[in-house]
Amino acid sequence: MWWLKDVWVIDPSQKISAPRDVLVKGGQVLGISSSLTEKEVLEKAQGESLETINGKGKFLFPGLIDVHTHLREPGQEDKEDILSGSRAAVRGGFTTIMAMANTQPPIDNRALIEFVCRQGERAGYAHVLPIGTVTKGMLGSELVEMADMKEGGAVAFSDDGKNIQSSEVMRLALEYAKLTGFPIISHCEDKDLAGEGLMRRGVASGRMGLRGIPASAESVIVARDLILAEETGGKLHLAHISTAESVELIRKAKARGVDVTAEVNPHHLIFCDEEIGITDTALKVNPPLGSRGDREALIEGLRDGTLDMIATDHAPHTQAEKARPFAEAPFGIASLETALSAVWQYLVLPGRLSLDRVIEAWSDTPAQRFGLTGGSLKPGTSADMVLFDPDFSEVIEPAKLVSKARNTPFLGKTMQGFPVMVWVEGRLVQRDRTVI
Amino acid sequence: MKWQRKDILAIEDMSVEEIRHILHTAKVMKEILMRPIKKLPTLKGKSVVNLFYEASTRTRTSFEMAAKVLGADTTSIAVAQSSVSKGESLYDTAKTIQAMRADVVILRHPSSGSAKFLADILDPAVINAGDGQHAHPTQALLDIFTMQENLGELEGKNVVIVGDVLHSRVARSNAWCLQKMGVNVTFAGPPTLVPAEMEGLGVKITHDLDSALPGADIVMALRLQLERQKSGLLPSLREYSHLYGLTTERLKKTGKQSIVLHPGPMNRGVEISDDVANSVDALIERQVTNGVAIRMALIYLLIGGSSNVVA
Repeated sequence: MWWLKDVWVIDPSQKISAPRDVLVKGGQVLGISSSLTEKEVLEKAQGESLETINGKGKFLFPGLIDVHTHLREPGQEDKEDILSGSRAAVRGGFTTIMAMANTQPPIDNRALIEFVCRQGERAGYAHVLPIGTVTKGMLGSELVEMADMKEGGAVAFSDDGKNIQSSEVMRLALEYAKLTGFPIISHCEDKDLAGEGLMRRGVASGRMGLRGIPASAESVIVARDLILAEETGGKLHLAHISTAESVELIRKAKARGVDVTAEVNPHHLIFCDEEIGITDTALKVNPPLGSRGDREALIEGLRDGTLDMIATDHAPHTQAEKARPFAEAPFGIASLETALSAVWQYLVLPGRLSLDRVIEAWSDTPAQRFGLTGGSLKPGTSADMVLFDPDFSEVIEPAKLVSKARNTPFLGKTMQGFPVMVWVEGRLVQRDRTVI
Repeated sequence: MKWQRKDILAIEDMSVEEIRHILHTAKVMKEILMRPIKKLPTLKGKSVVNLFYEASTRTRTSFEMAAKVLGADTTSIAVAQSSVSKGESLYDTAKTIQAMRADVVILRHPSSGSAKFLADILDPAVINAGDGQHAHPTQALLDIFTMQENLGELEGKNVVIVGDVLHSRVARSNAWCLQKMGVNVTFAGPPTLVPAEMEGLGVKITHDLDSALPGADIVMALRLQLERQKSGLLPSLREYSHLYGLTTERLKKTGKQSIVLHPGPMNRGVEISDDVANSVDALIERQVTNGVAIRMALIYLLIGGSSNVVA
């Protein structure tokens, strides 16, 4: 049994943000109280061994849920696999991760869905929930067997990594997914507008001679998908929103009652295109980092709820792949182990976002939208929890990272504010930054 | 001045003092180049490697000549572009060249930033001979050297660069170099090839060449890659030529005895009319000679060490 004493509990699902004592027993949250005496706790322990943690100065919140991770298994295990990815997750404070379907082969049938579930269970760290593709082979033409894949354990459908270029296929997907009740997760990127682009089109791309991707490459597809969702009444979730125009389109669509949610990645909230150096492949990401104005609009969107969730879009790559000239390096940032700390340091500490809002957007909201367990510390729920120490600082070094990937822009930097204890179903899986 | 730079990657991060020092050194090198016996022992025992991932005759030969005049040994590695994806990475190739104890590596590569990528890895000096659409510093330096020979001090002069600026490393490097020397630079071309974001280089932008010409001391035409039409960036070469081709008639609008430059090779009848091309032939030959002098200067400055060819 665990007794977390005098810790600042943030649980948006119960609207708690206050100092509390939390008891965990038998893998579940037993209760949250204002304060407990040792006698009361020992009574509840009923002879079970008790570990007491002094939580003063620290935060306890539900294990974070990341709706957008690339775990690369099957097929690209040199970049990451489900075991290394789920270890990276718990090191970073995530107890549930949704695995994107663009593996090799893509997760486009029930057998593959069950394989991902099974590998997640074998790993035994974060809960790994598979997302199925929308179309067979991710080729953008024929829909997958959504109902069967749901039976197998899928939690959503997405051709992420690729846009569904055919508007008709997207419309049909939104219709057919109603059988499952799951949202279609859309990766919005007009192939022609994005072209062979490498970074956001703007002054910085012009200066460096790196081919540009206009903001419209995302926004025109966001507009299309919102119209299709409205027309069909289907459920839409927009992945990695990165432009001010997209935020505005979503805001208006929500006001009209469209069933849409959207996520934003930490790197789009923190960096902008001007900060990219010509050899900084760690900042080469898709959608590309936007302008300062975009960054402001994204923060505002997350504050006012237009953007519902934060998601890492953890995209691991090998060092050899990223150690290339900018044009030749793959897109993506590995972020499971640094995302929460980065958001704390760059957004919460300077007062741009409240920690309460961050936790809500990374736990309760994703749980609600995708119908997941977790994301809450209500008594009787499975004890997926994070103890966060705002003062803990660490240098981001290759030797410490448990992900196979090193492609993070924070490499070599000292960051402050980390999860120091993480529980999955009441079992401690990370302590003092070491995965157990 | 005391030379401290290890590599020549882009004009953008160079000081005016460095640029002037290079131009001054090139002047001396040109005198050496014009001698009947043009061979110096200065860099004897040094090796210069040309690593070219794009086809180039002019630039590669120019670097080779420059190194040889200074007494260095040269090796040229021409890597077909296709082998980049299937073969050895630039990183591994670079390490191999380093292990062979090269003193200078000259890189031409289709990816912007590849020169800095290489310089960050390698101990030997790296000279950027053109990286993607990013920079071509030696071309800019030789252009400015040529302009100075013709016009003297360049401060306050007006230069119009016409054409496919978006895809041009020559335009970018010239814009930086010229502006550092106090020159007013205007980019002219259709909006698809001269988009608004190019203003980030500090230059003026216009889509109306004729309005930009009055007062221009130098007009530089860029080579138009003929495949731009296929990718939809321009409707036809005919219309391009009509709006932006340099003709004798059009050049009268400068109201001056303007100089016309072209980084070559020229598409006669497209960005430059035949008669204008013929009239600038002499200058283009001079640019080629100056190119060798500039490259001699750079190689010398990077690895010449304590020798004192330049008093």
